[in-house]
Amino acid sequence: MLDGAFVARWVRALERLLEEHRDYLTQLDAAIGDADHGINMHRGFSAALRELDGGAGEAPGRMLEAVGRVLVLTVGGAAGPLYGTAFRQAGRVLGEAPSFGPAELFAALRAGLEGIQRLGAAAEGDKTIVDAFAPGLAALQRELRAGTGLGEAVRRAREAAEEGMRSTIPMQARKGRASYLGPRSIGHQDPGATSTALLFSALERAVEEGATP
Amino acid sequence: MGVTELAERLGLPKATVHGLLRTLEAEELVERDADSGKYRLGPVLLQLGNAFLDNHELRARSLLWADALASRAMEAVRVGVLNGASVLVIHHVFRPDDSLQILEVGNAIPWHACALGKAIVAYLDGDRRRELLGAPLPRLTGRTLTDPEALGRELDRIALMGVAFEDQEAIIGEAAIAAPVFDHLGQVVGAIGVGGPVERLLPDGPSDHLIAAVKEAARGLSRELGAGRVAARGG
Repeated sequence: MLDGAFVARWVRALERLLEEHRDYLTQLDAAIGDADHGINMHRGFSAALRELDGGAGEAPGRMLEAVGRVLVLTVGGAAGPLYGTAFRQAGRVLGEAPSFGPAELFAALRAGLEGIQRLGAAAEGDKTIVDAFAPGLAALQRELRAGTGLGEAVRRAREAAEEGMRSTIPMQARKGRASYLGPRSIGHQDPGATSTALLFSALERAVEEGATP
Repeated sequence: MGVTELAERLGLPKATVHGLLRTLEAEELVERDADSGKYRLGPVLLQLGNAFLDNHELRARSLLWADALASRAMEAVRVGVLNGASVLVIHHVFRPDDSLQILEVGNAIPWHACALGKAIVAYLDGDRRRELLGAPLPRLTGRTLTDPEALGRELDRIALMGVAFEDQEAIIGEAAIAAPVFDHLGQVVGAIGVGGPVERLLPDGPSDHLIAAVKEAARGLSRELGAGRVAARGG
């Protein structure tokens, strides 16, 4: 069962990963964006973590919504509204339930992706967050349907998200500031897809940590 | 790019491409990577690009106005011209704080998704405007206006007000305010405007202070280009 403690582990793991990769993300963003993705994301998730520690309630859905609200206010740039919307939509799906299962986790993530796509109008191949999120989510669905255990399913989802992240390198950006560069955006890995791969990586860690007593 | 790839894409024999590359290399228009042996664009192209910018009258005259606007608005300033269906950024002044920013000169932004582009197209003659509205209008965010009729109404409103707004239509989280610049013939030649986070630029709709600053910079710049008072007003 996944609960509020799981959400806290997920956000904490992501905050840690973002801290480790802060300069790397900023470097990626400097090539095709405005060189603030790493700093912005880490600032936002540090604030989100403080919000959860300050007591955002016990219901996992409400916690995710609180994280989303904080991200919108603190991340800035395009990533703030995009990730903020994703977490809020995910939280809304889970509602007041004190715990949830893998199927609800998938539904919540799918609502998150839909929120991102509504806001950004991005499809796969546009060189955005979606290029890591969509394959990660698809892999999660595939594995859960095949009856794979949650630990293995989120591992495969993380691998698919990372593969999606790497697939952005040869793409020409069609959304966001990178798209203004036209063909010059080719050859660079998308920073948003990279932070999304970290989100899946954090998910894997949160599930793992929950499994070990 | 390698010789083989270039030859394939150009449909020319490899020997011919090789000869052309040797000439371009001698003129420093391309250079050859010592490790991979592949070719890339050379340093002289930067000089050519700079020569284009240096000889551009609007850019030359916009330098002071753009600086003044940036410090008055405390926001980043961009000057753009219409190039096909895109706005080419020909000058960019960073937001005057210490934040890390990346130069956007040379960026091409679809006209219908940005304040600069809408400010320019609102003042083009009917034929060119129809032509641009009839061409593909790609969606860059969930808020991009892609319906030609809605966009046409927006252009009418801009022509009436003399100022264009952009609310996350090009990039999520970003907003802009821009006004058209006219030449001595009273024709629109480009636009100047401020851009930045939507929560700062359009907290509850655009602030009168920013609109006034942008319009004043555009008017001053137009007058410098010889525009008469009526045209410079954006009327």
